[in-house]
Order: sequence, then structure tokens, then C-alpha cells
Amino acid sequence: MRAEEKHSEAEERFWGAIGAGMSPQRAPIGPLFGMSPETAAVFEAHGPAAAMGDSVADPGSGGTSLSVIAEGVGELAVIDPEVAKKACEEVLEKVKLLHGACSDTAAEPAPRAAADLANGDVGDGCEIRCLDDPPGAASRIREEDEAAANTVKSARKRQKNNSAKQSWLLRLFESKLFDISMAISYLYNSKEPGVQAYIGNRLFCFRNEEVDFYLPQLLNMYIHMDEDVGDAIKPYIVHRCRQSINFSLQCALLLGAYSSDMHISTQRHSRGTKLRKLILSDELKPAHKKRELPSLSPAPDTGLSPSKRTHQRSKSDATVTISLSSNLKRTASNPKVESEEEELSSSSESLHKSCSPPVRLAPEREFIKSLIAIGKRLATLPTKEQKTQRLISELSLLNHKLPARAWLPTAGFDHHVVRVPHTQAVVLNSKDKAPYLIYVEVLECDNFDTANVPARIPENRIRSTRSAENLPECGITHEQRTGSFSTVPNYDNDDEAWSVDDIVELQVELPEIHTNSCDNISQFSVDSITSQESREPVFIAAGDIRRRLSEQLAHTPTAFRRDPEDPSAVALKEPWQEKVRRIREGSPYGHLPSWRLLSVIVKCGDDLRQELLAFQVLKQLQSIWEQERVPLWIKPYKILVISADSGMIEPVVNAVSIHQIKKQSLLSLLDYFLQEHGNYNTESFLTAQRNFVQSCAGYCLVCYLLQVKDRHNGNILLDADGHIIHIDFGFILSSSPRNLGFETSAFKLTTEFVDVMGGLNGDMFNYYKMLMLQGLIAARKHMDKVVQIVEIMQQGSQLPCFHGSSTIRNLKERFHMNMTEEQLQLLIEQMVDGSMRSITTKLYDGFQYLTNGIM
Amino acid sequence: MAQTEKKGGLLRKSSASKKPLKEKVVLMYDEIFMTEDPSKCNPRFWEELFLMKVNLEYLEGKLEALDGEELMKIKDNINCLFQHCIQALGEEHPIRVVNALQTLCALIRGVHQKNKSTSGFDIINMLVGFDKAELCMKNLMESLDSLLCAEGSESLKSLCLKLLLCLVTVTDNISQNTILEYVMINSIFEAILQILSSPLSRREHGYDAVVLLALLVNYRKYESVNPYIVKLSIVDDEATLNGMGLVITQALSEYNRQYKDKEEEHQSGFFSALTNMVGSMFIADADEKISVQTNEAILLALYEAVHLNRNFITVLAQSHPEMGLMTTPTSPIPVTPVTPLGTTPPSSDVISSAELPLDADGQTSNLLITFLKYSSIVMQDTKDEHRLHSGKLCLIILTCIAEDQYANAFLHDDNMNFRVNLHRMPMRHRKKAADKNLPCRPLVCAVLDLMVEFIVTHMMKEFPMDLYVRCIQIVHKLLCYQKKCRVRLHYTWRELWSALINLLKFLMSNETVLLAKHNIFTLALMVVNLFNMFITYGDTFLPTPSSYDELYYEIIRMHQNFDNLYSMVLRLSTNAGQWKEPASKVTHALVNIRAIINHFNPKIESYAAVNHISQLSEDQVLEVVRSNYDTLTLKLQDGLDQYERYSEQHKEAAFFKELVRSISINVRKNLAFNTLSQELLLKEFSTIS
Repeated sequence: MRAEEKHSEAEERFWGAIGAGMSPQRAPIGPLFGMSPETAAVFEAHGPAAAMGDSVADPGSGGTSLSVIAEGVGELAVIDPEVAKKACEEVLEKVKLLHGACSDTAAEPAPRAAADLANGDVGDGCEIRCLDDPPGAASRIREEDEAAANTVKSARKRQKNNSAKQSWLLRLFESKLFDISMAISYLYNSKEPGVQAYIGNRLFCFRNEEVDFYLPQLLNMYIHMDEDVGDAIKPYIVHRCRQSINFSLQCALLLGAYSSDMHISTQRHSRGTKLRKLILSDELKPAHKKRELPSLSPAPDTGLSPSKRTHQRSKSDATVTISLSSNLKRTASNPKVESEEEELSSSSESLHKSCSPPVRLAPEREFIKSLIAIGKRLATLPTKEQKTQRLISELSLLNHKLPARAWLPTAGFDHHVVRVPHTQAVVLNSKDKAPYLIYVEVLECDNFDTANVPARIPENRIRSTRSAENLPECGITHEQRTGSFSTVPNYDNDDEAWSVDDIVELQVELPEIHTNSCDNISQFSVDSITSQESREPVFIAAGDIRRRLSEQLAHTPTAFRRDPEDPSAVALKEPWQEKVRRIREGSPYGHLPSWRLLSVIVKCGDDLRQELLAFQVLKQLQSIWEQERVPLWIKPYKILVISADSGMIEPVVNAVSIHQIKKQSLLSLLDYFLQEHGNYNTESFLTAQRNFVQSCAGYCLVCYLLQVKDRHNGNILLDADGHIIHIDFGFILSSSPRNLGFETSAFKLTTEFVDVMGGLNGDMFNYYKMLMLQGLIAARKHMDKVVQIVEIMQQGSQLPCFHGSSTIRNLKERFHMNMTEEQLQLLIEQMVDGSMRSITTKLYDGFQYLTNGIM
Repeated sequence: MAQTEKKGGLLRKSSASKKPLKEKVVLMYDEIFMTEDPSKCNPRFWEELFLMKVNLEYLEGKLEALDGEELMKIKDNINCLFQHCIQALGEEHPIRVVNALQTLCALIRGVHQKNKSTSGFDIINMLVGFDKAELCMKNLMESLDSLLCAEGSESLKSLCLKLLLCLVTVTDNISQNTILEYVMINSIFEAILQILSSPLSRREHGYDAVVLLALLVNYRKYESVNPYIVKLSIVDDEATLNGMGLVITQALSEYNRQYKDKEEEHQSGFFSALTNMVGSMFIADADEKISVQTNEAILLALYEAVHLNRNFITVLAQSHPEMGLMTTPTSPIPVTPVTPLGTTPPSSDVISSAELPLDADGQTSNLLITFLKYSSIVMQDTKDEHRLHSGKLCLIILTCIAEDQYANAFLHDDNMNFRVNLHRMPMRHRKKAADKNLPCRPLVCAVLDLMVEFIVTHMMKEFPMDLYVRCIQIVHKLLCYQKKCRVRLHYTWRELWSALINLLKFLMSNETVLLAKHNIFTLALMVVNLFNMFITYGDTFLPTPSSYDELYYEIIRMHQNFDNLYSMVLRLSTNAGQWKEPASKVTHALVNIRAIINHFNPKIESYAAVNHISQLSEDQVLEVVRSNYDTLTLKLQDGLDQYERYSEQHKEAAFFKELVRSISINVRKNLAFNTLSQELLLKEFSTIS
């Protein structure tokens, strides 16, 4: 009760301050239930406190449960999801009251909602109704606002204005300018619980993607800031978790990761941990599905695919129904015992304990866990070669458990993972850890939650279908042989089962592959050599054969040599499209139209929280530059933080590190550009050069602003279009490698880079500097958006990039708010000069070469 | 037989030293061997019988003592016993089941021992009786099936498998074992697969199950439809196939390990004792001592799996499924301790799965690698008949693999590099290579290495013609794939070329001896055609232009051999002798090689003359070669990239018949019921009763 009181009290203070503002829940209500603005206005007059009091006092439908909840708020995590419902319940209560009071004005949907309420399914019913589609609702609000006669609206506003001393804040909040960035900022900076609660509710009105970007900030605030902020955020989080399984996963992972800096004892009881548990316990599965599930569970996926291999449902999926599958001993043709069960479940802590209801997130978590476990095992092996072999074999085993209800969170669409082409996986270069790159075949689906897991197709699909069809049924032979022992028609597997398809393949493929070669002549006669006397002999010149050989080798694209010490170089050099085509050809799922190839780097033993922070900053800068129309190019790559020491990275495709380029090609960067893109004046070279300049300028700014260190050539990629891409943001802001004091320059700019840009006096170099200036001016304009991201993440964080007290101050200073544009230009010139001359860059490269063999 | 008698003798010494002290069970057996119905005076006779500890020796001995006619007299009682055994299998109490199983074994073996020559039908009649046979055997198979699939005692399952193995191997020639018709009709295939698919039961019984399957598949393979063949060929469940692969891997790698241990033992012994001079004399001697009994049964199982089931090919390249298990503690600990059982080589149970995936060099391994290593050991010595058989089977398996598209795909996969340490025979003229710095290459390189190794090491008086033919065929098939798919393998082809040329040289120098036994021209033709592949299609699969030059260099360098071969085949093809036809084929095939030799040799000579060099260096020769290609015309030969596909039925039937016979005898010999001690079972079941 006390909590409840406190809450309403706080609200009252807020509303008192900004006048008879909207109740948090009320914002969507009016339009949603078709109320005219007038009704809404009348409704508002009731005041939140009164409404609140009503609902608590009301012994009817929702009231009793509500009071229980009110007591438990903040104490019992189990009840927490109810808080979200509460908001809606209250609103509905009011709607009901209103309905009773002025039935003529009440819109049609209201009674329906009320009826739902009476049915007892209060929470679920209204949950779906009022929160299902916040963006939609939000847009409707706007539409209605605009559509509504100005008179009513302005009257309402006037009313507010009159009753409030300072409504500016509210006006800001209601204005179109109020975006998610501001919302986050106010949420973070405001000490007013009312404001926080308001913004917590406003979150529902933003587009999902907008809020998703700030998810790390939201969750970090949830974990590390005071209770009011947490309470304000939680309903939104819970709501989104109910909607999306991917969101649930990301939340759970981030909550775990950002809680890890807390002391272990506080961590256990922290809000973050509780919410994480709640998400993982699967209490937040979509409400309407909860009811259907019991009837579904006996055969979740088995009966849905018409293929003959329906019983081959994915192992990961099967684990959750262990009790079922163990009864399902074997089928007629195939004994199907879930043999890998123990394997799977023993590695998961909670699966067995809570295996009775199917856990939504379990297959995905299992998938991630296996990937991380592979990385951990790889780390124990001494050589790259062994790691690679082990990786390939481990992944081939993982394949047995696929397809599964698993997905790659770094992808932008809903899908199921169906196969990991294990031979394509490579171990990346790292001294003591074992990050690795895998390609993942997925099948796109419309909705992950409702789509069925695709049926498994065996590795060598064609053969198995063939042999299954061609072989006689055993049932017939039983009868035949029981009577007599006389010889039954012979089943000659040698001729039938073996020879057919491969030979056909052989002949079919010949003409298309070998068109330019004379060896298709061999098709014309399949006779033995002796028959040659009778026919015209065919002559070929030995010189032609050799010439073809050298020509064909010359035509193969510039691939990298295979290097056992650097297995990733070859894999990364191969053009992505080429790779997709190749893998698709070799995949049993490749023929499906929804087939897609994704790739992901699995890192374990590395903390990717800084990487995530860098990603956010890069993304923010990217959008700022886009908004300000500065043609700077940067490539933020997606990060999935799995825990404080593991994660996944979306690899940059078609890009190899400059180190790899130099080691493989033994050329200078400029010569490599010439080799790859053609001569100086070709369009392709010029485009590549422009790309290089734009990306270089972008990353120089990034490096300066974020103080990105450890910039050796292994951490700078060059893509097929000439862009450079910086990777590895392990040392940013206040941290630098081993604090040796290397890399004192603002960013890395070597003479080689300048050479590619056309030298110090070239136009492109001036363009580069100009881009930097424009970029810095643009970034400065939106400094708050950038700083805010970093600042919020500093809360409760032990990350090395926040070491010391002046991280944020220094960051702000680097935007040089006080400088004129001329001064900024000078600054850029200085930085470029300094970096060019910087002896430390050279020193650092030399140091890297000596210690890590990086060129 | 001798074995059982000996054991029987031992037992008699202790328990049956004096006649009056006969066990009760023995007395009951005696009653069965009367013509009267034993249950007449004791209605509970059968119930009591299966509560008694079985005296296998006595029962078997007694049965063996009777000949056919005597047996016919007590046929009713035997039938009765058989039936009651089957009935007892359904009993709840495991002791009865165990006793019934053992009694059945004794019955089957005893009746067969004496009546080897009798037709299978008579034996069925004697054991079960014609009238009831079908139903009885159906019940038996069903009971066994349910025992094998139930979640019951592991030792019980093991005993069931023993009984099945016993049933399958009672005759030397499996196809004459008519009683197996019932095993065909009442398939236990699914039960076998189930054992293989679950890790626990696979660990315990995998070996027996695989051997049993391999044998069953070979029952009347060529004469009738064997449902086990059909079923095995369509299995597509990966867990099962992997399980099977794992069992085979375990057995083969255990063999490899044992061999390696022995080898090291010998080496260390010799090094201390001998000076390097004398060493070579003893190597042959040492080699024979090293030889470990090969495991034909498991090899046969591998063959059947590879040959019959196309899905199994994927298993070859897969690492062991157990791998995931080893890092996470296996939660269900086996209920019963691992009992070393008769047929199972005790070792394969002993090695823990944790050791498996990494071989001695800390490398990840897979079935194919293990098999290649095994082959390299087995093929070293082909003098002993068993090893010759094993070596042949290895080559047959490799032939099947080399023909398979999918297998070729992963053999040639550039991303799957392995370091395969093949065993190399110590030979006088070469040091035992320190293979520690073997490069990591696609698996096909290891296959080619193995073939080269075989070619180089088997040029002996007892020329294994058949194996050589297979070996060359495998290389040819691999080349055909490379040509077709334009795979440019970075392999040191030179080693292959010189091995092949040396082989030709050997054939010619031993012409008279070899011609007496073999048609050496087929082999010579195949070798020459391999060269023709390289010469005419080299552009499609050689890794670099310079490797094509090297090919010419090698041919020119060794031209003497080709010249000799040509004159030999020319001589024989002009004579109207037995070899006219095959020899003339070789002459035709040599046309391009001769063209090369005749084209370049004068050029090289003139180059030497012009530059006043007596001996040209390799680079100089290569230069001459490079600059004179254009004036050389080659004749395109047909069908170089065609090959006859492997066919078991037409060519290998006799071999497999013989092989299965030897496996049957071996399995029977090793089947020891006594090792499964009653005490152990009693202990296990005491808690239940």
C-alpha cells in the first residue's frame, strides 16, 4: 500500500507541476477508444490520484488483485509483470466509470473492453487491446490530434496552460520534436519521478526500432539507477518482451552483462537479475499463446511438415519435450532416439529443471551456449591448424541439432537457423583467444514465433531420396520368402543403387563446364582405345594444353594463398556473393527460396560491451552525418553482447585487414588499389579512392572523438569498394593498450594512406580534410546525442573505457564547442599534420610487427 | 570346439569329479535327454529348470555326443526345451531370462556341432520342429527384439546379442544357415539401429551390434532379397549412422594404437641392442612380430555401410559425436560396470571416449583418417592371408569412396585440411620419415599418399597384382573427379609419377616370372593411361603450368622405361601369342608418351650440343621443354576419363564369401558365454528379487 501511495503522490506532484497534464496511461486512451477529445478532456479532469484511488478501492473485477500487487511492488519479481497490466487496468476502470457516467459520449469499443474486463481476463484482454501496436496507436494519436478541429485542441491546451505555471516541459514532450534521444536524456537527467513515469509511458509511442537502439541505455538505467527510473522503464520492457522473442533474448543478455560489474552479493538481489530471471523463466511469453500451448505441446512441430522425415524434428526442439521423446522410442523405419539429449541438456543449467513447460528461449540459448562452448574449447588448443580442424568438427556436430528454433540476433529479419556449413568456418587471428567466424544458413520466415521450424534435410539430400524411392519395400519380400526358399527376383544393388546418378551427373555436367576445352570430344566416343584405328584420330597440340592451363589459372580472381597461420584471410577475401552462391550450391537447403546466408563472429573471452558502446556511437554519428548530409562513410557493425566475456559480432563482408593484404600481396596499399581497381584514371579506381577518402575521414573523426587506440593494420579492414573499416574498439575513451603511451596522435594516418589519397597536395587529400571539418561541425551540432550514449553507459560500469573521472568531460571537450569554424579548421589541420608526422604511429606499427607479426 | 571341451574339462574337475554329486540341473538335463516327456512326472519341470544355473558345458557336450539319429529320437524333448526357453524369455524375472538365453545358445551350438553336414531344414526340425518353427522363431525374435529395446539390464542385452551372434555364426558358411530365414522375416534391424543410436548402449554393445549387422547383411546376399541390405541402404538417421561410424572408428583406432605401441616397443628394444648396420636385417623380422590381428569383421561392417548406404558417406568425414559429451560430464552413469565380453576385443571398451577425437598428434580426427591410418598399417604386409584380405577390403572400401561424389567433395575440400600420419614401411633404401612436419592438406592427398606408398612398397616376387590394379583404379577415379570438377589439387604429383614409372620398370624386369601368373598388361595399360590423363587433360586439374612441365621432364628423364615397355609390348603384340591383344592395347596407349620422348629428346641433345653441356640440369631441360611445346602434336585418346564402376556381385562375390566365412569362424571362436559369469548377473539381479 505504501508503494502505491508513494507512487500516486509522486504523480500528483508531477501533475501539480505541469498542470492537469495527461495521465501517463491516458495518452493513447482517448483516440484508442474512439473518444472524442472532449470526452478525453472531461476524463482528464478526474485526475490521476482520484482514478487511482478508485481502482484500489474498487472491490470488483481488477481491484482485489491490484491491491495485492500494490503491496508487492518492488519486492516480488514475480508480480512485476502485473505492473504493466495495472496501468491498463486503471485506465479501463476509468473507462468503465466514464461509460457509466456519460454513456452517450462513450465510444463503441469501450464496452467491449469493459466486457472483457468483466470476463476476468483483465490483464490479458486489455494488454492486447491497448498495447499491441504502440506505433500504430501513436500515429493514430497524432492523426487525430491533427484532424481534430483546432478549436478543441487549442482549448484543451489553453486549459492546461492556464492551470499550469510551467508547461514548457510538457509542451516539449508533446511536440513533434520530442524524439527518443530526448526522451532518454530526460529519463536519465530528470530527478522527477513523474517525468520519468511519463517518459516511461511515452516510450510506447516511439517506433520499436528507435527504442531498440537505446536498449543498452534503458537497461543500464534500469539496473543501476534508482527505483523510479526502473519502474518507469519496466512496463515498456515487459511489454516488448511479450511481443518479441528476440527482444526478450537481447534484454536477458544485456541485463546479465550489465549486472556483472556489480558486487556479487548485490547482483543476486538486484532488479536487473530479477528481471532477467523473469524473462528467462518465460513468464513473458505472448499472453494469448499461453492458453493455446497445452493443447499444442504433445506434438509441437512433428505433424506439421508433410515430408516423410517429419519425425526428424530438430534436437534442440526435442530437448524441451524430453519426456515425450523418450516415450517415442522408435518408428518403423528409423529408430529415433534422442541420443544427443544428454549432451544438449547437460550443458544447460536450467533446462532439466524447468523442462516441463516448453521454454521459448531454450533452443536459442542452447544454440548460443554451444557456440560459446566451442570457442572455449578451441582456446585450449595450441595451433591455428588444430583450432580450425576442431572448429570444423565441432560445427559438424552442431549441425546434427539443426534446424532449430534458433536465430542469429544480429540479423535484421526473422528466420530459423537450419545449417552451419561447417567446412567454411574459420578461426580468426588472435593470440590467446579463439574468436571464430561461421557462416550460418537460415530460412527466412514471416514471424519467428508462429512459423514452424523447418524440417531437417539430410546432408546429402539427393542420394537419400533416390535410394529411398528406388529400393523395393521390404514388406513385400516378407511374404515372398515365407512360403518357399526359392530364389526371389534379385535385388542387385550394385547396378541400380550405385551407378546411375553419378554417371548421369558426369555426362550432364560435361558440356556446360568444358565448353571451351577440347576434352568434350571424349563424349563422342565412349569406346575403348582399340577402336581408334577405325575412326579419324583427333590431334591436339601440347602447347594448347599448357596454354589453357596457364590461362585458366590467370583467370581465377585474385585469391589469397592459403596460410595455415592465417586461415581467415582466404575466407574473407572471397567475394560475399561468390561465397553465398557456392555455399548455396552445396547446401541441402539451398533450393529453398527463403534460404539466406548469414555470418557471425563468435568471440569468447572478450568483453563486447565496449564494442557495443562504440557501435552505438558510430551509428549515432552515421545518422548525424546522414542528417547533415556530410558524405562521410563509416560502417558500424552489429554487436550482440552475450555476457561480460562473450558475444557475437556481425562481420563486415568483402573486407580483409590491411595486414592480410600486405602480407598476402606484398604490395604497398596504393599498388594494391591499382591491382584491384585498375589504373589511376579508371572510374573504378577513382570510385575506390573516393570511398577510401570518405571512409578514412569518417574513421579519423571516430578515432579522434572516441580516442580509439590499438590501431594497427590488423584492426583496419579494407573492403572490396575501397572503404576502410576500423574494427576492434577494445581501447577507447580512457583506456589504451598497456598504457605504454603509444599512439599519442589523434588518429592513424600513415603515408601509405595519404598515397592512396593521391599525396599531400592532391585534391583528394584536401577533400579529406574538408570532410573531416564538415563532419566535426555536424557532430558538434549534435554532441548531446553522442555524449548521452556514453554517459548513461558509464553508470555502474567498471569498463576500462570509463576509467578515471574525466571520461565524459574529455569527450565533451573533444567536440570543441567553444571554437569558431575557422579554429576548427585549424585544429583539423593540426591533427592531420600531427598524425602524419607522428612518430608514435610508426613506432606502434613497428611494435606490433615485433610482438604480433602484424605488418 | 576344442575350447569348449577344455573349459568343460576344467569345470568337471571341480564340480563333477564324482558321479553321485551331480548338480540338479545336470540331472534335469539328463531327463531331457530321455525319450520321455520330463514334465510328465514333474509338472513344474520347466519352471524349475530355468531357475537353475545353466551348465553350458554339460548341455553342449551332451548334445554333441548325440548324432543325428539319436537326436531325432529325443527331438520332441529338444523341441520342448527350445519352446520353453522362448517362453521363459518373456518371464519377468531376469534370472529365468538369462538362463533361457544361455540354454538356447547351448542348444543351437550343440545341435549344430554334430550335424554340420545336415541340411539346414533338418536342423530346424531338430531344434524347433517344422510345424512350430515359424511361430516359435517369431516369438524368439520378438522377445529378443523387445529385450534389446527395453530399458533393461545391459548384461541382458549383451547376452541377447551373443545369442544372435551365436545363431548367425553356427555354420561356417552363413548362407547355409537356413534358420536365419526366420531372422530375415522377423527383422531385428531396428533393434540393432537403436543400440547404435543411443550413446550408452552403443558404448556397451556397439561392437557386437555392428558385427551382427555386417554378418546378417551377408546372408544369401547374392541369391535373394536380404531385407537387412535393403534396410541398411535406406537408413538416414544421422544419430544412428554416426553411432555406427563411431563404433567402427573405435575399433580401428584401437588397432592403430596397439600397433603403434608394439612398434615403439620394438624400436626402443632394437635401438638399444643393435647398431644401425645390423638393424636392417632385423626389420623384416620385427615387422612380423608387430603384426596385430586385424579386425575383418569391423572392416566388413565399414564396407557394407559405405557400399550400401549413401548417407554413411557423410559420417566418414564427421568427427565423433561423443566429442560434445566429454567436456560436459555425462549425467547418466552406466548402471552396470562395463563387462568385457567374448566377441568384443576387450580394448575397444576400455578406451574412454574422451581420448578419441584427438589422435596421438593432438589432431582432430575422423573415421576416414582413422581408416586411412589403419589401411596404411594393414597394407604394409600382405603375406599373411588375413592381412591380404584386410588389405584388399581396405582398397575396395577406398574404391567405393573414390567413386562417390559426396565423398570426393569432402576429400577435395580445400577448407578441410588434415595432417594424416600414415604408417610407412621401414625399408632399406629409405629412412623412416620424420612425419612431424607433414603439411596440413585436403584428405585426398592422404589417399594419394597411401596409394603411392603401396605402389612403392609392394614390388615383390609374390606380386599382389589384384591389389595393384585396385590401387591404380583408385588413383584413376580420383583423377576423373578432379578433371570433371576442375579441382586443382596442390599435390606433389611427381611422387606419383615416379612411383608409377618404377612400377612399370618392375613389371618389365620381372616379365617372365609375372607373366606366368598374371596379365601384367592390364596393369601396364592402366598406368600408361594415368599418364595419358595427365598429358591430355592436365590443363583441367594440374595446379600450375610448371607442374605440366615437370610431367614432361619426368617422362623424358625416365624415357628408358617407356622405351623398354614399348619394345616389349611391340614384341608380344606382333607374335601371335596369348598376349597379343592386351599387349597391342598398351602399344596404342603409349603413342603420346612416345611422341613426347621422340619430340623432346633430340631437342635436348641438340641443346646440350649447342651449349656444350654434357649433363643438363633440371632447369635447363625444363626450359627446352617449355620452348618446344608448340611443335608437338598429341593424339587425343578416348575414354581416358571413363571407368568401370565398382560392382560387388559380378567380381567380388567369391572374395566376400570367403571373407564372411573367415569372420564367422572367428566370431564363433571368440564367442564365450562363460565370460559372462553367472555371478555377475546374479549380483545384478539380486536386488530385484
